[in-house]
Amino acid sequence: MIARRAISFAVPLLALVLAPFALPPYAATLLTEALILGLFAMSLDLMVGYARLISFGHAGAYGLGAYASGWLLLHAGLPMLLAIPAAMLITGIVAIGIAWVCTLATGVSFSMLTLAVAQLLYSVAFKWTSVTGASDGLAGIPRTPGPFGIAVFGGRMGFYYLVLACLLGALVLCRAVVRSPFGAVLRGIRENEAKTLALGYNTRRYKIAVVVLAYALGGLAGALYAPFAGFANTELLFWLLSGQALIMVIIGGTGTLVGPILGAVFFMLVQQELSSYTDSWALAFGLIFIGFVLFAPQGIWGLAASRFRRGT
Amino acid sequence: MEFLAFLLTQCLNALSQASLLFFLAVGLTLIFGIMRIVNFAHGAFFMLGAYVAYTAVHLSGSFWLALVLAPLAVGAVGAAFELGILRRLYRRDGSAFLMVTFGLTLVLGEAIRLAWGVAALPVPAPQPLSGIVFILGEPFPIYRLFLIGAGCVVALGMWQFLERSRLGLLIRATSQNAEMVHALGTDVRLVRSCVFGIGCGLAGIGGVFAAPLVTASLGMAPNAIIDTFVIVIIGGMGSFLGSVVGALLVAFVQVFGTYYFPDLALALMYIVMVIVLVARPGGLLGKES
Amino acid sequence: MALLELDGLSCRFGGLLAVDRVSMRVAEGEVRAVIGPNGAGKSTLFHLITGLVKPTGGTVRFAGENLTGLPADRICRRGLSRTFQLTSLFPEMTARENARLAAQARQKRCWQPWGGSPLFGAALRHADAALEQLGLTDVAHQTAGLLSHGDQRLLEVAMALAQQPRLLLLDEPTQGLSVEETALAVETLGALFSDGAMTVLLVEHDMEVVFRLARTITVLHRGAVIADGAPEAVRADAAVQTAYLGGFD
Repeated sequence: MIARRAISFAVPLLALVLAPFALPPYAATLLTEALILGLFAMSLDLMVGYARLISFGHAGAYGLGAYASGWLLLHAGLPMLLAIPAAMLITGIVAIGIAWVCTLATGVSFSMLTLAVAQLLYSVAFKWTSVTGASDGLAGIPRTPGPFGIAVFGGRMGFYYLVLACLLGALVLCRAVVRSPFGAVLRGIRENEAKTLALGYNTRRYKIAVVVLAYALGGLAGALYAPFAGFANTELLFWLLSGQALIMVIIGGTGTLVGPILGAVFFMLVQQELSSYTDSWALAFGLIFIGFVLFAPQGIWGLAASRFRRGT
Repeated sequence: MEFLAFLLTQCLNALSQASLLFFLAVGLTLIFGIMRIVNFAHGAFFMLGAYVAYTAVHLSGSFWLALVLAPLAVGAVGAAFELGILRRLYRRDGSAFLMVTFGLTLVLGEAIRLAWGVAALPVPAPQPLSGIVFILGEPFPIYRLFLIGAGCVVALGMWQFLERSRLGLLIRATSQNAEMVHALGTDVRLVRSCVFGIGCGLAGIGGVFAAPLVTASLGMAPNAIIDTFVIVIIGGMGSFLGSVVGALLVAFVQVFGTYYFPDLALALMYIVMVIVLVARPGGLLGKES
Repeated sequence: MALLELDGLSCRFGGLLAVDRVSMRVAEGEVRAVIGPNGAGKSTLFHLITGLVKPTGGTVRFAGENLTGLPADRICRRGLSRTFQLTSLFPEMTARENARLAAQARQKRCWQPWGGSPLFGAALRHADAALEQLGLTDVAHQTAGLLSHGDQRLLEVAMALAQQPRLLLLDEPTQGLSVEETALAVETLGALFSDGAMTVLLVEHDMEVVFRLARTITVLHRGAVIADGAPEAVRADAAVQTAYLGGFD
């Protein structure tokens, strides 16, 4: 049993590590973007799957991270290896305020507040021309080498491994958190918040903590995107992106961490394949999403896992 | 005198804005009152109404025809969605509704983009209403006066409908005790479908009325749902009177707030929402808390 | 000094006075039942003590400390654990996990987002002990939502016990239980409460249960205390008999 589980992790891991050597450059770049989106989706799963805090504004985290790292790289001249963690930190700090506001409410009101906050950030990005470049955004973001002259992550392969390392690191962190006593309380909040409160847990603080962590990791994804694409603009804060992240989580499988990563890869694959045939791929995706919510709420990962269990 | 004229025109502005917001809010609160779900797609139905109006006006040249056609079309889409999809979810928890109506927003948004393109589409106001009048020396669009009138008519009409008509009675009864209504022989599922259709139709009418003012565009949906949600929170989920009061409050805050604090304009709504949610999680006139 | 002191505790909902200037002293080791006809305010009284509802008047003092108006989680951390009238559990966790989460709240650094083996281990020891006290060891690994109604109510009590409370508040623990389940529950709880081992406040409708478990009884009627004392005295009290329309027998 343990051997089987080890294999089911080792094989995809090995595949990911060796991918840049096996894939053509175009595909490797796509895979890099898929992994960044995977990190983004996984961070959302922390809120949605483990605490049932449904956010319609996670693009706020992504955009914050992207603009922060973009600005630090472009205008402050920081090297990538400093700018990215700094951007993640900035996102996390802003998220404390966001989380404090949003957790004033529960249920639908919470979700609406997350959307409102993201819309607010979107409009701020348009107005704060001096910092964000308004609708043009930040362009020409460099993959500045350093410190100590480390330049290996600037190239296509190097950057891929940087993204992979961040994704894996975040995954390990999230798994640890979810299995910890903190994670047990989150599960309690998810299943019966009133009871968790009655047991003596300050549930609001736990919710704030998980939202901050989710935003920080979402910000990390955005912070990686800015040097990846070379630009950061208001599209990264747009509500449709928040929607796409939610779709990736649902289709991949909520509460699984790995599922949403799969969901992101699936999303990118479909987007790539379908968009060359038809303009209505996003429509199809919306319908697929509704289908999953109705008929397969456990997502692809959940379906695969139950197949696996039945086969054992 | 000038200040009085300014004040009067701004108040009329706010009232016309309140009318628009009322159409949206009353539909959302009606749906919530019966079905205990927040229709996240409400903004998308509003948007759909505006686009249908564009086509109707272009094909027939008549704004009035659009006013009749759009709510019917939008209401039909809503009812179909309820029948086909929402029905399956009544036994699941609230987050499923949220997700599905969110998915519908995306689907509708994309469908509209495919059918009508990304450009904002202007819808001309009908001829007799497209001019201006002078109020105490200040110019004011006749169309906005028309909106105020339309809002009053619909509000009164809805009130009478809920109080006097048989379906209105059924709706109010179902929102209070669905099981009893069912036990008394009415098909509650039918009432639900009707209400969802009516609610969406109201959003559609709002879209038609809004189109000459804001032009039909793809960005309408998220802002509409946020505004509507704020109103319904302020006025109380499921309260008809609350949607009137909330719409008036929000409209006045928006109009006067934008004038005095133009930079804060966008943030204003969210700040109001936060204040209201902190002060009264159940809204001012709410049935649910 | 009594463990729990209520002084003039009141709660008004709009026009309705749900709890009317209730005063009460519960000593350490005492098992006191709160009874009264429907709508007498018993559950509301519990909500006031445990912080779910803010009182509009009066005070709650626990071990000399003023707890009035504090939020529910803080009051629980002071040593009051309760069960609910409508069973409230974590339906998808096992019984053992339910009890573990309850016990975890009492551990130092119960919030830590890393590791947890020693913390979980300590919590499990308390959880397993509580489950055994309630006779639930056999169903420890079953999903809580699938347990029988009787086992679910006992599990809730086990969760409260796993927190090693100084004051245990049970809100109608035998509600909805069959005759056999009630007898079993009474036996189990009776053994737990014997000889002043625990301080308990108990809301109950079933008079048999009350007389078997409680040493003192407080009777509420329309939110106010109408009698207070040993079971025999309360039984004989005229006001109590009137309130219940015809006495106990």
